[in-house]
Amino acid sequence: MIAIVDYGSGNIQAVKNIYDKLGIKSYFAKVPEDLSRANKIVLPGVGSFDQAITELNDSGMREKLDELVLNKKIPVLGVCVGMQIMAKSSEEGVLDGLGWIDATVQLFDENILKIKPKLPHMGWNSIEVNEEHLILDGVDLDKGFYFLHSYHFVAKNLSDVLCLTYYGAKFHSAINSRNIFGFQFHPEKSHFNGIQIFKNFAELQHA
Amino acid sequence: MSQSKTICKNCVMDTTDSKITFDENGVCDHCHTYTADIAPYWNPNEKGLKQFQSTVDAIKKEGIGKDFDCIIGMSGGIDSSYLVYLAKVKLGLRPLVFHVDAGWNSQQAVNNIEQIVDRLELDLYTEVIDWEEMKDLQLSFFKSGVSHTDTPQDHAFFATMYKFASKHGIKHILTGGNYSTECVRNPLEWMYFQSDSAQIKDIQKKFGTKKLKKFPLTNILWHKIWLPYVKGIKLYRPLDFMPYDKEEATQFLVENLGYQRYKQKHFESRFTRFYEAFWLPKKFGYDTRKVQYSSLILTEQMTRDEALVKLQEPAHDPESIEDDFNYIANKLGISTSELNDYLLAPNKTYKDYKNQQWIYELGAKVMRKLGLEKGGKR
Amino acid sequence: MLRSRVIPCLLIQDKGLVKTVNFKNSKYVGDPINAVKIFNEKQVDELIILDIDATINGVDPDYQAIEYLANESRMPLCYGGGVKTAEQAKKIIQLGVEKVAVSSLAILNPNVLIEIERLIGRQSIIVVLDVKKTFFGTYDIYINNGKTKIKRKLEDVLEELENIGVGEFVINSIDNDGVMKGYDMVLAKKVRGLISTPLTILGGAGSFDDIVELVNEFKIIGASAGSLFVFKGVYKAVLISYLTEAVLKKIQLISNKF
Repeated sequence: MIAIVDYGSGNIQAVKNIYDKLGIKSYFAKVPEDLSRANKIVLPGVGSFDQAITELNDSGMREKLDELVLNKKIPVLGVCVGMQIMAKSSEEGVLDGLGWIDATVQLFDENILKIKPKLPHMGWNSIEVNEEHLILDGVDLDKGFYFLHSYHFVAKNLSDVLCLTYYGAKFHSAINSRNIFGFQFHPEKSHFNGIQIFKNFAELQHA
Repeated sequence: MSQSKTICKNCVMDTTDSKITFDENGVCDHCHTYTADIAPYWNPNEKGLKQFQSTVDAIKKEGIGKDFDCIIGMSGGIDSSYLVYLAKVKLGLRPLVFHVDAGWNSQQAVNNIEQIVDRLELDLYTEVIDWEEMKDLQLSFFKSGVSHTDTPQDHAFFATMYKFASKHGIKHILTGGNYSTECVRNPLEWMYFQSDSAQIKDIQKKFGTKKLKKFPLTNILWHKIWLPYVKGIKLYRPLDFMPYDKEEATQFLVENLGYQRYKQKHFESRFTRFYEAFWLPKKFGYDTRKVQYSSLILTEQMTRDEALVKLQEPAHDPESIEDDFNYIANKLGISTSELNDYLLAPNKTYKDYKNQQWIYELGAKVMRKLGLEKGGKR
Repeated sequence: MLRSRVIPCLLIQDKGLVKTVNFKNSKYVGDPINAVKIFNEKQVDELIILDIDATINGVDPDYQAIEYLANESRMPLCYGGGVKTAEQAKKIIQLGVEKVAVSSLAILNPNVLIEIERLIGRQSIIVVLDVKKTFFGTYDIYINNGKTKIKRKLEDVLEELENIGVGEFVINSIDNDGVMKGYDMVLAKKVRGLISTPLTILGGAGSFDDIVELVNEFKIIGASAGSLFVFKGVYKAVLISYLTEAVLKKIQLISNKF
């Protein structure tokens, strides 16, 4: 079953709605024990980096998540700030991230944004594939997804970058390192493309 | 499926219509009504068109100098959509397209109305039914346990159109009702007269939580006698006067007017889809597809074998039914378990509540004697 | 590349959808849930839903309704109406809404926005400003459904709010509301010149051409409309619609040209 981490941040209901409509079983995980029966995990997140990581730590599920994701290699999909906290740190805050990916999170450089509006990066933007993956099957790259953020992921290794998106310059809009997936955009609010991502994630064979 | 039920040898109506009768060859009374009362007088061909032409000319003449010469009630369904095309392109009329929004429009319906109105360059008028009242009345019907649960929508549609016509002095209303796909009618036991406002009022009185102040109510005497015979507002069914093949019509609209197909008749309303495909069969054992297919069998647009095969599949789409159930409950502001309670509650009939059936029966007798109506509901 | 957003705007009054003209004469146009469902199936970019009574009546946002609406949307939703505290904003976000719109709060008590930012993030705060042209060609801000004029200058309010930091500004022209004769391009240009936060223009769109004109001028902007997507034809028949694929593609091309 797919566990949607309910730690107080992120649109967990929207994700569940999508899986309900697809007829794929999912549930909300509120405490560490809940995560035990997960064979896949979705980690949503909105708001600020520090707030999200604090809420995740406070939920008590942090250790269990580390164990499942890093040791057991359970597939995990991070959304928006849920993806950002997978990095080591963020310019937005002072706390450490999960450190699952060798990366930082940085503010978009307004100087390279040629015309208004500047920040946040808001709206539908297309994606470019850096590394092919089944999770992107059936996605209309040009139509893209809905973005809403001022800080963006900066992965150290290009091999961890799944997708790029242009906003002033190309930035890392999706990442993948083995069982770990992260999407800066909101697949739960990107119509058909988003539904496709969730569907593909559910259908991935466990590595 | 069910245990022992007898199916007509000619069409596919069966004993789930408890009033059905069969002759010595196993052919049902629906078929006989068609053969005796409808078929001999029905001319969906050149002859019919000639018959109707004088009506068309009269409508055009009376409409000179006005913005439109008739109104056509359009739901987004195939019958009314095709009628709009025929009226404008083949008959040369200038209709105002009239749509009643009862809050259940499917996306396809809205798209189809938009496409047809735009491409045929017609004017559209809509009436929006007050949703809070509609919701309350709809819930009352669920609570009452009767099988004609779709009455609020149906009633609102006709009442609104008649009131509009009456208010604006429009004499000619065209509807997509037709023998080609509707020569067999839903038995009264399944769907009681939606125009009986005494029934509506009584059900609302017993189960409603608010008074109906904005909901449009009509009554049988007003729209069957006062309007046509006193105010001269006439209802026409042009599709009866020309060849009308449902599949051809659909294909034509899809290819030429941007029309999106529905899975089954009446699926332009999310509620009707739920009601006919799930509620009626599940709660009462009434499958309206039998009525629709029987009509198509009699008018030679479907074979009995084809119909029997189709009837083997469930009326509802097993993939989307849970979604629909949740949607209906959500929209009515109740929990799915409450909706389920209504599903499991004892079945009632229209006779359990006040009704004016005696007027309908009297009226039908008179109409038949005068040769004015054939093959009515029973 | 990023493209402009085309955003239907729905007004809720007394649990029903309404449309106004110059903020008056609200006409009932139907049930919100069905409308949102249809817009969702039409895959619209984004949706704005404003409860125009909540602040005046001093009531909490209708959380149950918000939850139902959020459940029907697979696109971002912005919800506004009666939001006065950070707790209310957080609760709305938790129901599955991406953005919270504030109007009178931003004018009368902008410090609360800092509190809201802490709980839901700056990008999720949308400020809606209802403006009316004055005799001299300047613009006044109004609150309470266009009934109470604010004495402060539009420029000053925009500057203050941009400094505090918000996600987006929605500028709503009371003069053009429901009139369907085009956006107030002068107003749009003026505001675009003053701020660099994402901007959405609302009020007056009467045809696809109006939206194309707006995008042509600003390349990246939010084009919001109520009447255009809810009414059809000379009789203002209620029928939900959206832009055609062709027009959306055109908008994408224009946005990508810079």
